[in-house]
Amino acid sequence: MLVSKNWLTEYVSMDMEQQALEDCLSMTGLNHEGTEPVGEDLAIDLEVTSNRPDCLGHIGVAREIAVLYDQPLSIPNPQPAANVSDASDSISVSIQSPELCSRYTARVIRGVKVGPSPEWLVRRLETIFKPLNPQWEPVNNVVDITNYVLMECGQPLHAFDLAQIAGNAITVREAAADEEFEAIDHHTYNLQPGMCVITDEDGPVAIGGVMGGAQSEVTESTVDVLIESAVFDPLATRSTSRALNLFSPSSYRFERGMDPEGVDWASRRCCELILEICGGTLEQGMVDAGEKAQARSPVTLRLNQIVRILGISVETDQVKRILTELGNEIVSADELQVEVVPPTWRRDLSREIDLIEEIARIYGYDEIPEDAKVPMAASAKTDSDRVLEKVRSVLTGVGFDEAMSASVVTEDWASVYSPWSSAQPLRNHTPMLKGADTLRPSLVPSLLESRRINQSLSNPVIELFETARVYLNQGEALPQEIRLVGVTTGQDYFYLKGVISRLLTTLKIDAQLAVESVELDLLHPSRSAKLLLDGELFGFLGEVSDAGLKQFGLRSAATVAEIKLELLEKHASLIPQHSAISTMPSIARDMNIVVDESVSWAQIESVVAQSAGAELQTVKYIETYRDPKQDGENRKRILLNVTMRSDERTMTGEEADTIRENVVAAISEKLGGQLLG
Amino acid sequence: MALQEFLQELDQLVTEAKSSFSDAVDMDALEAFRIEFLGAKNGRLKSAQKMMGGIEKPDKPEAGKTFNATKQAIELAFEEASERLASGGGGAVDPTFDASLPGSAFRIGRLHPITQTIEELKDIMGRLGFSVADGPEIEDIRHNFEALNIPNEHPARDPLDNFYLATAGLGDDVLPQWLMRSQTSTVQIRVMETTPPPVRIISLGRVYRPDTADATHYPMFHQMEGLWIDTNVTMSDLKTVLRLFATSYLGGDVSIRFRPSFFPFTEPSVEADYYWNGQWVEFGGAGMVDPNVLKEVGYDPEEVTGFAFGLGVERLCMRRHGVTDIREFYKNDVRFLEQF
Repeated sequence: MLVSKNWLTEYVSMDMEQQALEDCLSMTGLNHEGTEPVGEDLAIDLEVTSNRPDCLGHIGVAREIAVLYDQPLSIPNPQPAANVSDASDSISVSIQSPELCSRYTARVIRGVKVGPSPEWLVRRLETIFKPLNPQWEPVNNVVDITNYVLMECGQPLHAFDLAQIAGNAITVREAAADEEFEAIDHHTYNLQPGMCVITDEDGPVAIGGVMGGAQSEVTESTVDVLIESAVFDPLATRSTSRALNLFSPSSYRFERGMDPEGVDWASRRCCELILEICGGTLEQGMVDAGEKAQARSPVTLRLNQIVRILGISVETDQVKRILTELGNEIVSADELQVEVVPPTWRRDLSREIDLIEEIARIYGYDEIPEDAKVPMAASAKTDSDRVLEKVRSVLTGVGFDEAMSASVVTEDWASVYSPWSSAQPLRNHTPMLKGADTLRPSLVPSLLESRRINQSLSNPVIELFETARVYLNQGEALPQEIRLVGVTTGQDYFYLKGVISRLLTTLKIDAQLAVESVELDLLHPSRSAKLLLDGELFGFLGEVSDAGLKQFGLRSAATVAEIKLELLEKHASLIPQHSAISTMPSIARDMNIVVDESVSWAQIESVVAQSAGAELQTVKYIETYRDPKQDGENRKRILLNVTMRSDERTMTGEEADTIRENVVAAISEKLGGQLLG
Repeated sequence: MALQEFLQELDQLVTEAKSSFSDAVDMDALEAFRIEFLGAKNGRLKSAQKMMGGIEKPDKPEAGKTFNATKQAIELAFEEASERLASGGGGAVDPTFDASLPGSAFRIGRLHPITQTIEELKDIMGRLGFSVADGPEIEDIRHNFEALNIPNEHPARDPLDNFYLATAGLGDDVLPQWLMRSQTSTVQIRVMETTPPPVRIISLGRVYRPDTADATHYPMFHQMEGLWIDTNVTMSDLKTVLRLFATSYLGGDVSIRFRPSFFPFTEPSVEADYYWNGQWVEFGGAGMVDPNVLKEVGYDPEEVTGFAFGLGVERLCMRRHGVTDIREFYKNDVRFLEQF
């Protein structure tokens, strides 16, 4: 918000050094954003946080300066002389929608001379409006005065041409559906229920809190003026503004909440200036509908709480000075506490802690030391962090780069691959990035898109992984989030399976990794699998199908996998235990067996494990070979190696041979396999 | 045999021995040659010695003398060769070996720069006693707003400023009940609800706020928020912890300053800046946890006080590593990823 330096001098001495003032304001709550000369004046740009609507006017800013520099603050006390006739004879006001407008006041001035505003007024308004709107021009003295008072105290006002108010009665109500209205900006707006309108007998004359009407605006031909000073509901004003895409300095202030007492002051001030500058006579009294301001409750500040919250003590005299100069009225005080009634323009001060914040910011945050003796506390790394660290360490060590991609994707990506859930994917009301409004149920499409982007940049090696969540719809219950590791490589199924196995080994996971067939269109029908860890669903792995490659614009083969971090955490052995290392040598035997094509390695391995006895150390797959001429169709040869070791003695060659015979026999019986010579 | 012949043999022997010994590339090869020439049973010198028996008696003295000289010469040559090999010098040079050729190529992947930043932050805060807390990314209204003292009318709740989930099957006028979290303080609420004080935690992770994506804005980013609640925590502790953090992160003495601000969940609320390289740099928002928030989670503001602070990870990462466009973090161009 821009304030004029010359204007501020009206209320507080502005002799201090400009830079020092700007720094001081930044350090105490009004962040200085810039200063620009306008004519002989300075336009000072200050950031006003949403909890300080009292600073949305020059008097509020002047008050801050007065407190900071311990200077007197001089505020006008408008008491415009009124003539004998009552305003209530000229206008009546009724509020039909108190939830949209809690108070509406009106004053009437007769016989004004509408013309150009005096120089001093124009200069002040120019300083604060022209920098943001170079086309700004004053309107006329009456309208300019309403803007002046708005920017003086922060209370929005509106002036109507009284002759244009049909029936001399104002009704404040909710707009009807599709009610049309032409505003001062000469646009016609289509109003809806929920919006507040000020109406006369014929219809809307203003959108409450936002903008007045073209028909009833004050012009050169206006003689009698109605001054509106009201309180409109913050939420309603904001939603009206947004819905109509119509914003004004008035709507801005109503959104943030107004001082209920300020309504009357602003109305009197406006009338006083109009009488002074435009002439005319003010009718007696103020027509006042709706609820009056409620008396504020006192707030007690226990002095020992200051050091408890801030860590520093502040002398009681300082505390009292600061509170008083900010407008709080001290009701009682002793060595332990101060009781105050906060001013009506500070609705943000209602608790002890709010007062403590005032003390802190005016006294100065630089007084708070930064070398306190902070006690130590224990903190340990979580298990899931430890697991994640190892996962990242293995994957980067093997050559994968870590990627990060958006959690929200387009609908077709979400529907093309969702192996974890068949429920409808979750969507946002508002899209996040171009058309993306679906919470992703899988990391794979995002990884494939990363492949495509890298491909288009001619990066030849694309090995990526991402650790992130996917989001699954659970109907009425809060959506489920699963933490996954997603990986993509240009290599094949077995390469990626090897990487996953490596993760399991590094985490010392004993659990059995098993595969099941799976049907997912994105993946190759055979070269893909559902992964299980000790029987629980662990993940999905597969080479991308031709259709999948096409869908994602990929020119070369890719393999993808996604696994659950939770299962890794469940089975990981984070504190490996030493076990005795055998002093006995191991002995190995190769086996070349021929089986039907349909027999899986998992089956063979299982049979070997069951039949080899306690001395079995490892079963290792070596290779597959097919020779239809020798073995017939649909047969394959599997070469495997078995190592054995006994803890008690050195095993003999004969013992190893016997075990091999047992294994071969079991393979023959259970799987129909034969040993080759 | 004739003396002349014998002397020629001996001469030949010395020449060959010297040549062989100097050609030996290593100790094994030298040893083989030693056995060939000086071997006790079948060495050539031994054979030559045996030949002396066939020399005529008057020639024997000269033959013997020359034999001894030959033996000494060969032994000397052997010793010199041994020394040469033991000191590692010389040997046959392999002209095809080019030491300047590149070593074997290995590919190592890189952690994402945001991950690297987050790990460092966790590290520093861990040393200051802050444990990591985790929580859901999809939140309900209570945790994202109500418990954080953000009432219904507050602009922070505006549907245009949040990613509310569209609840399928329900009409538009039904109040949206879930959203993608706009800050990680939701996790802090969850921890406080289920843990009695003292609490000293950081919560990190993805947060979501509607924003058009450009060089400095992205609708998804990462936040780190710290929280410390105990019986005697003051704003001086807050300033000190922030100073310790900044000093650890930047590796030099850093000063902190507060500027008043406003957040619904802290009172007082401040913007914290740190002083580095001759200027004040924005750190993030901070403040003492508002008593309303403490009450909401079941803590007694008369018993405990606490502070909270937050910072944006992307901004920190961009500043440290000189990244100028935030969108690079989510594009995953491997040439970008490999720079970190």
